[in-house]
Amino acid sequence: MTVNLMKVTYNWLKDFVEIGLSPHALADKLTMAGLEVKTVEEKEGDFVFEIEITSNRPDWLSVVGIAREVAAITNKKFNANCLMLNVKNPQCKRLNLKQFNVNIESQKDCSFYSAKILRNVKVGQSPDWLKKRLELVGCRSVNNIVDITNYVLFEQAQPLHAFDLDKLSSGEIFVRRARKGEKLITIDAVEKNLNPEILVIADKNNPIAAAGVMGGKDTEVSWDTKNILLEAAVFNPAVVRLGRQILGLNSESSYRFERGVNAQAVEFCSMRAVKLMLDLSGAELVGDKSVGKISKKTKSIYFDCRCIQEKLGINVASAKIKTILTHLGFSLKAKDKNNMLIEIPGFRSDVNCAEDIVEEVARIYGYEKIHSSLPAVKPQAKFSSDRDLVLFVKNILTGLGLNEAITYSLIDRESLSLCSSTSAFAEVRDPLSKEQEILRPAIVPSLLRCVSYNLNQKQELVNIFEIAKVYFPSGASLDEELCLGIVLCGERNLLLEQGRLKDKMSLLHIKGVLETLASRLGVKEVAFAWQTKEIVDVFANGKKIGTIGCCAQQILEKLDIKHRDVFMLEVSLNKLFDCVELKKNFVTLPKFPAIARDISFVIKNNISVQEVLDAIKIAGKPLLESVEVTDYYQGSQIPAGSRGLTISCLYRLLERTLTEEEVSPVHARIAKLLIEKFEVTLR
Amino acid sequence: MDINTLKTQIELEILQVNSPEELEVFRAKYLGRKGALAELTSIIPQLPIEQRAGLGQQVNMLKSQLQALITDRQKVFSGGATKVTSSTICDLGMPGIAQELGRLHPITQVIEEINTVFVNMGFVVADGPEVETEFNNFTGLNIPLNHPSRDAFDTFYLKDYPKMLLRSHTSPVQVRAMKSRKPPLAVIVPGRVYRPDAVDASHLFMFHQIEGFMVDTNVTFSGLKGILETFAKKVFGEEIKMRFRPHFFPFTEPSAEVEISCIICKGKGCSVCGRKGWLEILGAGMIHPNVFKQVGYDSKKYSGFAFGMGIERIAMLKYGINDIRLFFENDLRFLKQF
Repeated sequence: MTVNLMKVTYNWLKDFVEIGLSPHALADKLTMAGLEVKTVEEKEGDFVFEIEITSNRPDWLSVVGIAREVAAITNKKFNANCLMLNVKNPQCKRLNLKQFNVNIESQKDCSFYSAKILRNVKVGQSPDWLKKRLELVGCRSVNNIVDITNYVLFEQAQPLHAFDLDKLSSGEIFVRRARKGEKLITIDAVEKNLNPEILVIADKNNPIAAAGVMGGKDTEVSWDTKNILLEAAVFNPAVVRLGRQILGLNSESSYRFERGVNAQAVEFCSMRAVKLMLDLSGAELVGDKSVGKISKKTKSIYFDCRCIQEKLGINVASAKIKTILTHLGFSLKAKDKNNMLIEIPGFRSDVNCAEDIVEEVARIYGYEKIHSSLPAVKPQAKFSSDRDLVLFVKNILTGLGLNEAITYSLIDRESLSLCSSTSAFAEVRDPLSKEQEILRPAIVPSLLRCVSYNLNQKQELVNIFEIAKVYFPSGASLDEELCLGIVLCGERNLLLEQGRLKDKMSLLHIKGVLETLASRLGVKEVAFAWQTKEIVDVFANGKKIGTIGCCAQQILEKLDIKHRDVFMLEVSLNKLFDCVELKKNFVTLPKFPAIARDISFVIKNNISVQEVLDAIKIAGKPLLESVEVTDYYQGSQIPAGSRGLTISCLYRLLERTLTEEEVSPVHARIAKLLIEKFEVTLR
Repeated sequence: MDINTLKTQIELEILQVNSPEELEVFRAKYLGRKGALAELTSIIPQLPIEQRAGLGQQVNMLKSQLQALITDRQKVFSGGATKVTSSTICDLGMPGIAQELGRLHPITQVIEEINTVFVNMGFVVADGPEVETEFNNFTGLNIPLNHPSRDAFDTFYLKDYPKMLLRSHTSPVQVRAMKSRKPPLAVIVPGRVYRPDAVDASHLFMFHQIEGFMVDTNVTFSGLKGILETFAKKVFGEEIKMRFRPHFFPFTEPSAEVEISCIICKGKGCSVCGRKGWLEILGAGMIHPNVFKQVGYDSKKYSGFAFGMGIERIAMLKYGINDIRLFFENDLRFLKQF
């Protein structure tokens, strides 16, 4: 069944209210009052409305409920005369009901149960008008008895059930929890295993229905049925909900019970069905047994009409308020000009406070008549949040040419094998599919899949990043950490004046991105240390914040990435942000010129340039202002296992112009250091 | 240095020049503003008058010889023909040279745009965790457990962490913010939310929402309409119309579903709006007194409104995207359009 859609027809509504509007005009009115009409379909001389009913309004799951609404919207009277129930047990030949008992195990599960016994039923086809109405609202006609229970369900939102009395093992009904191991074949001919969470209707021996959900096959009304038991009851909504969830069933009946039926109308609805059965099946009512109590107490809400002004910001005359509420079925007792006591009818279980009354007035008065105004928003302190920093980081990264990706925070188990390191992770309970199973402990695996996808789309350069939470167990709790993931793959084509250059992505590109980012964030120091053959630990101000690395061959194979290297970064932004220093201090520009001197040399590959630079910085003090690598080459002139480097040293004194004579010995000292400590060959 | 020594040095050195870059260094060394020839010229005024003219002549001769040498060398590099350089002709039909910028994801762009609209109206931005408690996600928001009103919020619960879940909406941050502060409050909360669902062109199990709420002594439904109309006009254009329909949300009362006039057909009815002329874009309402009760606010003294919208929906409408999955496929051809 389509769950939250209620079908109702134009002519059926007219049983209860005079309608002066066309079906489409009525549909618009209903929609603007909170009953969203999804479709209006002309069918067999009638119009079928399909209406979305919100879960707070079980009363709208009935024709009378919607008719009452139509009356309120169109300012007409709701008329229930057609329900004339002059069947106050007229022909009820009191059976000796000692023979028949209803036992309720727990009042909590079932507060009221009414059983009506009807004899000499002639089960047959329903009359055409009944069949047609049911079919128009999407309910298949079965036989006159079942159709009548359904008719009352749609008309009154009270589910009823008819049992074949002669198929019960004894003159007794038990409303109880199912016992472990019990089974029930429901009317759709499926055998269901029951358990004590499920409320059932049982005869002396066996369950004969899942209470409020579906009846059993064994006791259903058939063409041969002679005598019936008509059930009308009030079941606990939560119990029915749990039962239908366990059974995997969803019926018109459970849908209404879950949302709550109007207990005060149960007896009325039962008699409404009995009356129809007497009329249409020639039955006679011979017994009437009910157990349990129905509270006659009604809820009342004290309401001050000025509340409307306060909550809505508009003035609605109290006379208008009263008309609206009266039309909706509320009884009002005026206290003074503004105050009144509102008695809530039994079918409005959703109305519990003054705000609910405000909504009723606003709905019928019309939301569109509430003018808009701009409230004065008072200044408030910002919430502490990394949002601004995150946006700053995103803008830096896009400035570096990277594109932002957004991938799912839930991943499949297989993606875990794309992580460069194994870490603990959390899982979703009862996942719907394997793609929604694991809370990811890292971003890079998802980005690697994007690389694979984009390479398949023939992208030459895949350069993407994502900033998102990752999750990992930490003792008894589950921590989330804001992380940055970057992947680079392929080459960037640079078309310059001297022609095309191919800028092939490498680990140094990842390093460059991170260094630029750290520098813009004012992070004092970023350092790197090889962890494995492929992975490098990254440190900010001495603390590990993540890794950069080159994607291992076996991972590339899993992703079907061929002939390409993929470089990646995964860094905790929470940790990086701890090192952020956005305060800027101006450094006076130098007044005197500097002297630049280069040194070109050949150095063995196993010596780290960083070490060389660090040593030069110390050796060059105090004249050396900065030192940087300005050229790099490997080729036929350079011996294998070595590379050629050019380092540029900048010397300066802040207080006066430096002379060549002062620089030369320092530069010579540096050259000597290179030769002696790092075994370089000067070129 | 004497001029003849310099000439010899130049002639030897030009033979060592092997690339246009080296040639440029060479040129600068001798012909540059601080080059050797300039240095020579600069000493001329210090010479006795009779020597000045002679050296001047020699320097000029060397200069033209040097230029000839450089030109010859250039021809070697450009394979005989003189290359057309940018200084002579610039074909503006050639692609410009610039660092290519990356793009922010369209979802980020929409979130930032919406944030800006609200921040300009005085709202502040807050965020909260994605792994939430059942209380903050449901009970604190007046959504009873085991009740049909929860059907709209299918939820990912976590294995091994009882009563913990992935938030199914951004509203838990409402509870957190109200618990941590006293009114007045005007807050927006963008973020990821999760609901178990099979993925298709209009469904995802992860998407983004922006939640907004305002609490003060005099907040009304009329004010809610004003704020949201301002938002819609800024994001979708001044000509947009907005309508509020009664609806039900457990955490607001009265509640409304908010629609804008269809941005495709301008309200005439088309396939995007299902022939209705209206597009649902958000849910809103006055904060339910039960929510205030949970966070310890006095609902007699304070009132407030709240609203929430799906960002993917707004982005799809704004950009005319017809398949929600595109947002998370991260096809660079898609990302680079925004």
